[in-house]
Amino acid sequence: MITDINFLDFSPYSTSNGPVTMGDLLKFVLILSFSIIISRIITLYLRRSFKDKVSKDAGETILKLFYYGTIIIVFIAVLPLTGLDPSGLFLAGGITGIVLGFASQNIVGNLISGVFLMIEKPIKIGDQVEISGTLGFVTDIRIISTLIRTYDGLLVRIPNQQVFTTNITNVVGYPARRFDLKFGIRYSDDADAAIFLIKDLIDKEPFALLNPDPSVFVNELGESSVDLIVRIWAPISEWAALKSKLLWAIKKTLKENGIEMPFPQRLVYLHKVPDKNRTPEELKQNQEKEIESVLNYGERVLT
Amino acid sequence: MYGNYDPPFSIEKEGISISVEELEKRWVYKRTLGTDTVEKLILGDGKHIIISPVEPLNTPKEITPNLLIEFEKTLLLAAGARKKIFLTFPVEIGVFISDKGNKNLQLLDVLTLARKKFTLYGPVSNGIICKHWKSGIYSVSPSPNPLQEGIMELTLRNTTSEWASISKAVFSAYGMKIFYDSDVFMRAHMDILNKNTAETGFELQHISGELKSFHPKNQETRKEAIEIYNRKLDFVPVSLTFDMRLGF
Repeated sequence: MITDINFLDFSPYSTSNGPVTMGDLLKFVLILSFSIIISRIITLYLRRSFKDKVSKDAGETILKLFYYGTIIIVFIAVLPLTGLDPSGLFLAGGITGIVLGFASQNIVGNLISGVFLMIEKPIKIGDQVEISGTLGFVTDIRIISTLIRTYDGLLVRIPNQQVFTTNITNVVGYPARRFDLKFGIRYSDDADAAIFLIKDLIDKEPFALLNPDPSVFVNELGESSVDLIVRIWAPISEWAALKSKLLWAIKKTLKENGIEMPFPQRLVYLHKVPDKNRTPEELKQNQEKEIESVLNYGERVLT
Repeated sequence: MYGNYDPPFSIEKEGISISVEELEKRWVYKRTLGTDTVEKLILGDGKHIIISPVEPLNTPKEITPNLLIEFEKTLLLAAGARKKIFLTFPVEIGVFISDKGNKNLQLLDVLTLARKKFTLYGPVSNGIICKHWKSGIYSVSPSPNPLQEGIMELTLRNTTSEWASISKAVFSAYGMKIFYDSDVFMRAHMDILNKNTAETGFELQHISGELKSFHPKNQETRKEAIEIYNRKLDFVPVSLTFDMRLGF
């Protein structure tokens, strides 16, 4: 007698959980193959997305972690189809995980921070940033650490956990940045003329932005000078160069037009102790002389 | 001044002095404008020098591809209206070196007689740095100095059902088409899409190589200027537009 057996129902072997059919094995192979294909497609898409945003080293590490992680998870999930019980693997994996977790707490923390840094993107390669008091260019964002080249050419490696949990100042986060320049001029100088000269200089400077508009005004009547403040917005790439250029240009222009920046001044009044033997007329004459000398001192300082 | 030159030559106009002279079996390119002097050595024979207007976004430094033209007076455009106006734009002069047949173009120098100033379009947090130019609004084509200013024929279209108040227009250098002859000319459009958004772009009126561009005055044929920005693209731009999402 010939029995009609469906190929998919054919059981090549049995385990303690029951017989494993060819259908189960086929499902196992198909699901695993499908997950490999899907992981590859997602990896390709992510690789394109990471281009120019994440450093190649870090990007490849993340992609490998994603690719193999997905396959391992799917493999364990479909393992019961082959009749094998993955609970033993979970137990062994769990214990190994606890041991490794304790041993590599910081590394895992840095790694997870690195992944979040890449997702949130508070900084990019090439940005000028200040992180934990370190100011410089971001040269690389790796999976565990971020590399900064300081302005004086030092390479500083900051663990990603520190980068992620500390305040980050991104100097080039916006397209324009403002700088302030402070100048003190003499009380005898014309502040309106100084403001006019400074505004004219700013107007001639291409990188001093028209909008937001620059401002020049008297900020304070100081002890020794009338203090002016100049506020200018500049494209972020030209900010530093323009600041130093205008600082000196304004100083030179003011001087060329007879407007000086005074040194700190003190008016010192000197008077002698009254001589008991002098008559009131002599004392009065002496006081007038002292007042005259103070006035002359003032004139000398102001002219 | 615009055109092709075979070395040695020397030209002088409007305070600009350009020369290519042979010195000790080498070609020396020299350009003077005011106190600014540029000198370059050219090693190669049988080359042409081409002087052409270029996109006005290269001097004093290439920091943005966007040009903001601020109108001297705010313009009110009726709902659904389509009007043509003329503006001026700054001209930059590009000096190129090439093999015969204008092949293998290489930029030698860019200079300008126009005012150089930058501005921010939009707020500080998400604005865009633009080259700034202030222009009057003309109903007929003006006649500016072609070495300093060009003419832009701008077609304004208000696709909304409300009046549009327009005080500026932003254009991207990518897609910019400049033509020149006795003047420097661009034809652009600005479509008002809603209360805060407009789209600007350039009319590509070329056929191929030498092109026919309608001159409002005497229908003369203009040449196509050499484009610095479009040459950077991997593809030939058919229609590139700029979205003014931060008001106009």
